[in-house]
Amino acid sequence: MPGVLIVVLVLGAIGLFLALPGGRLEWTRLGLVSLAASGGALVFLIVDRAAGEAGLALFIGGALVALFSAVRIVTHRKPVYSALYFVLLVVAVAGLLIGMQAEFLAAALVIVYAGAILVTYVFVIMLAQKARPPGYDSRARDPFWGCLAGFALLAVLGRQLFLPAAVTGDTAVPGAGTVEAVGTALLTQYVVGLQVIGLLLLAALVGAIAIARRRVTAAPEPELEGAD
Amino acid sequence: MLVPYLLLGAALFSLGLIGFVTRRNLIIIFLCTEMMFQGIIVNLVALGRYPLDGRPTFDGQVFSLFLIGVAAAEAAVALALVVLLYRHRGTLDANAWTALKDE
Amino acid sequence: MPPAETSILSPTVYATLPFWPLLGAVLVGLLVVARQKPERAHLPVVLGALVSAALGVTLFFDLHNAHASSTDGTPQTPLPLREGLGEGHGRQLPPNLPLEGGGVKTGHAEPTGHAGHDPGFTHTVYNWISFGDRSSLQRNQWIAVNFYFDGLTGVMLLYVTVVSLVIIIYSIGYMRDHHGHPERGYERFFACMGLFVFSMISLVMAGNFVLLYLGWELVGLCSYLLIGFYYQRPSAAAAAKKAFIVNRIGDFGFALGIFSLYWFLKDRVAAGENPLDYAVVFKYVTAGALTQGQLTLVSLLLLCGAVGKSAQFPLYVWLPDAMEGPTPVSALIHAATMVTAGIYMVARCTPIFGASPLALDVIVTIGVIGALLTATMAMAQYDMKRILAYSTISQLAFMFVALGCRAPDSGVFHVFTHAWFKALLFLGAGSVMHAMGGVIDVRQFSGLRHILPQTYKVMLIGCLALAGFPLLAGFWSKDEIVHAAFARHPAVGVLMLLTALLTAYYTFRMFFLCFHGKLRLPAEAGDHPHESPPVMTVPLWILALGAVFTGYLGVTWHPGASSFLGVLAPHGFFHHYLHHSTIGTPKPLGEAPWLMYLSAAIALVGIGLAWLRYGSAPTDEPDRKLLGGLWNLWNAKYYVDEIYDRVFVRPLRGLGRLLWGTDNHGVDGLIWCVTAVPRGMAFALHFAQRGALQAYALGMVLGLVVLLLLWGVM
Repeated sequence: MPGVLIVVLVLGAIGLFLALPGGRLEWTRLGLVSLAASGGALVFLIVDRAAGEAGLALFIGGALVALFSAVRIVTHRKPVYSALYFVLLVVAVAGLLIGMQAEFLAAALVIVYAGAILVTYVFVIMLAQKARPPGYDSRARDPFWGCLAGFALLAVLGRQLFLPAAVTGDTAVPGAGTVEAVGTALLTQYVVGLQVIGLLLLAALVGAIAIARRRVTAAPEPELEGAD
Repeated sequence: MLVPYLLLGAALFSLGLIGFVTRRNLIIIFLCTEMMFQGIIVNLVALGRYPLDGRPTFDGQVFSLFLIGVAAAEAAVALALVVLLYRHRGTLDANAWTALKDE
Repeated sequence: MPPAETSILSPTVYATLPFWPLLGAVLVGLLVVARQKPERAHLPVVLGALVSAALGVTLFFDLHNAHASSTDGTPQTPLPLREGLGEGHGRQLPPNLPLEGGGVKTGHAEPTGHAGHDPGFTHTVYNWISFGDRSSLQRNQWIAVNFYFDGLTGVMLLYVTVVSLVIIIYSIGYMRDHHGHPERGYERFFACMGLFVFSMISLVMAGNFVLLYLGWELVGLCSYLLIGFYYQRPSAAAAAKKAFIVNRIGDFGFALGIFSLYWFLKDRVAAGENPLDYAVVFKYVTAGALTQGQLTLVSLLLLCGAVGKSAQFPLYVWLPDAMEGPTPVSALIHAATMVTAGIYMVARCTPIFGASPLALDVIVTIGVIGALLTATMAMAQYDMKRILAYSTISQLAFMFVALGCRAPDSGVFHVFTHAWFKALLFLGAGSVMHAMGGVIDVRQFSGLRHILPQTYKVMLIGCLALAGFPLLAGFWSKDEIVHAAFARHPAVGVLMLLTALLTAYYTFRMFFLCFHGKLRLPAEAGDHPHESPPVMTVPLWILALGAVFTGYLGVTWHPGASSFLGVLAPHGFFHHYLHHSTIGTPKPLGEAPWLMYLSAAIALVGIGLAWLRYGSAPTDEPDRKLLGGLWNLWNAKYYVDEIYDRVFVRPLRGLGRLLWGTDNHGVDGLIWCVTAVPRGMAFALHFAQRGALQAYALGMVLGLVVLLLLWGVM
């Protein structure tokens, strides 16, 4: 496992731990700095590894934006901002997809995720908003173990990825992921799945309506501050 | 160029996992779930570009399309539930529901 | 002997003898369950006993015909009892030794060279259990249900079935209250009685030792059930347990005896012969197949069973306590039938016991001690049933002495006569008890001859018979035993005569205290106590007839100087009948007419002494004033029960408590420790389940990481 990866992971872990909500402002900033350093190291690693390949610059850009927005989703105190950063994430991922010749997918991603799902999230966040920021947003639970778990997982996966001869060949088979091509494939080869997804969406629609219509006697709200 | 994409997918997945485990707001928890989906989509499409038999295929992308559909359905139902839960307790704190406790 | 052509009924019909009372008992159970009508609950059992009695009487005559027709009438002698062969020799006999009385009569083929014989006839019903595969029949490993018919069986069945029938009929009246309604548990009583009669008949008819043991245990069970009939009384429950446990001690030795018999014989018998069948055992024993030591061992072990079941010293302590049961039970089980099973067994195994002088000496010793000891105890008791119980033990010891003095036919004769008059005495006491409202302590009442005339008369007959009044049944049988005792050793004879004197004395002490003197009644007797109803008095008279006349079965009309009163001599039809059995023909004793007159005189002296001291039914106790401490010792039964309690019961109980503690705390404690482990683990781990979903997810991820690490490492 390359040493740079270790540096990336360690810096990232420390940074995320510090950046999670619940600590003092200086530490949050320090954490973000650490995360930035981690990102830099990551860029170095990738450039070193895949130098001279086509689409590297696009990848680096998209990846950095995606990672940045992912970190902000996790560490921001206000839920609305998390949702907006998610939109940014979606756009970044769409860009990466276009770099992989999956245009239809990128468009679908933006339309569905950013256009529908995220809008729903924002609505619900607005509906469930409190007058003042409640406690459960400003403190994370168990940041140490959480970061440890996540980065340990990443370390294991990364180690596997960087083993020599882990991947057979390195030449991609590009297929143009145009609307026409993917659409034809959907309607000929994967038509059953398409129908099933339609049914699934119908079921989810009905279910959501049924759930949301229930009358509930609201219980007195307990103010669960502080303790985990 | 595959490994960097896979690494990115893994990173997005891990970050989503950390957020899922760490944050207390119900909606943010679900949002991190969606983030994990993003990482998976990246992985799928990247891997889909290296088919075993050498012929170009759209398997990865179609899979991801279906994945988006599933994510949408799941988000709809999950948010409806969150709204209901909020109406019950008046809070979005994940610690408010501990009915699975041993006692 | 094989059944004669003139046999009245076939052996198969006789083989059903035990089952009629059993059928009655089962029907009682079913009837009551179905109809809840105890009034008629006695009927099935009475009918079953009636059929068995009829079959028993028929069998008696049938066997008599078979005896008479198969030879010229003289029976064979099993070899160990023949004079001249002596004891202690090796058992190698010349093959052509002639037997008295002609050829060998047996239902089995005789291998040449063996002089043993089999005087009875075995009827096999079916092969019950076989150990292993079909070849077990060849390897002598099975248990059959077979019945053995010989003279001894005939005699035993005759009195067992008839006396049982009489007592069961009596119980119909006894087990009711003053208004004639059946007591609580009426149907249970008759069911148990039916079961008992079945068990006793099986015991007597058994054709092999295993079936004998089965009947033995079953009668013990029925005794337990019937002694503890009033189970809500703690004393009754305790008495039932005591009876069963003391019996069990004897039965342990008995079982060991049967096992050793099997062990010694199993390799000696031919193929196809079961080493526990009577016919086979006695054939080989009389042919000398076992050594002296083996025979002694077997006899001593078998003796243990007889000592327990027939209430000999030292295992007699259960019999007085057994009086807690209803009076018909005491009459039937503890006087007439069950307690005679031990005597029967020793008589049946005469070839085995006869070959072991040591065993015979032990029997005589036990008998003499038991007879004298319990006769003294009977002199100082107040409870009528207890007096009769000790009297029973004493008379059983008489029978034992007879067996030990090589006079088994006299012993069985005394069993026969004793059954009649002792049952009569018990049932008479029951009649008294019925009239007195349950009181049976002679200090509480007297002068009952005025209000219970019939009971008075039959009790007089019974007491005279027990005391050995001349010409009644007890006189003949007891005299023979005394004669045999004298033949064995004069000291034994003198002790038995002394016991006879004491017997007459205490019997009439009881009689006079109860029936003579001025009329006194206890409070429980009610307004006007009256004589028992005919359903009770008729059986009493039947038994009285037996008490008078059964003695003449064993007497010959023999005009001449050597007989009693010039005309009657001992040993008659009964004894000749018995010689056609495994008892064989014992060595005849000399003639001793002087002894008969002496016995008569002793009986009269005893009765006279009792009349002098107790004739007026005094309420103070003259004997106690005379004998003082000795009398108290007799009244306290020599403190035997207390000694047994200290020496045996308490240590065992302590051991039981110790073991209970070990089991409860030790063994269960270990189990508790085992259960404490999961509980501890659960307590330790329950902190991990607080209901926080995210913690669960975190745990899952950490687990996944570990797994991946391990997988990657490997």
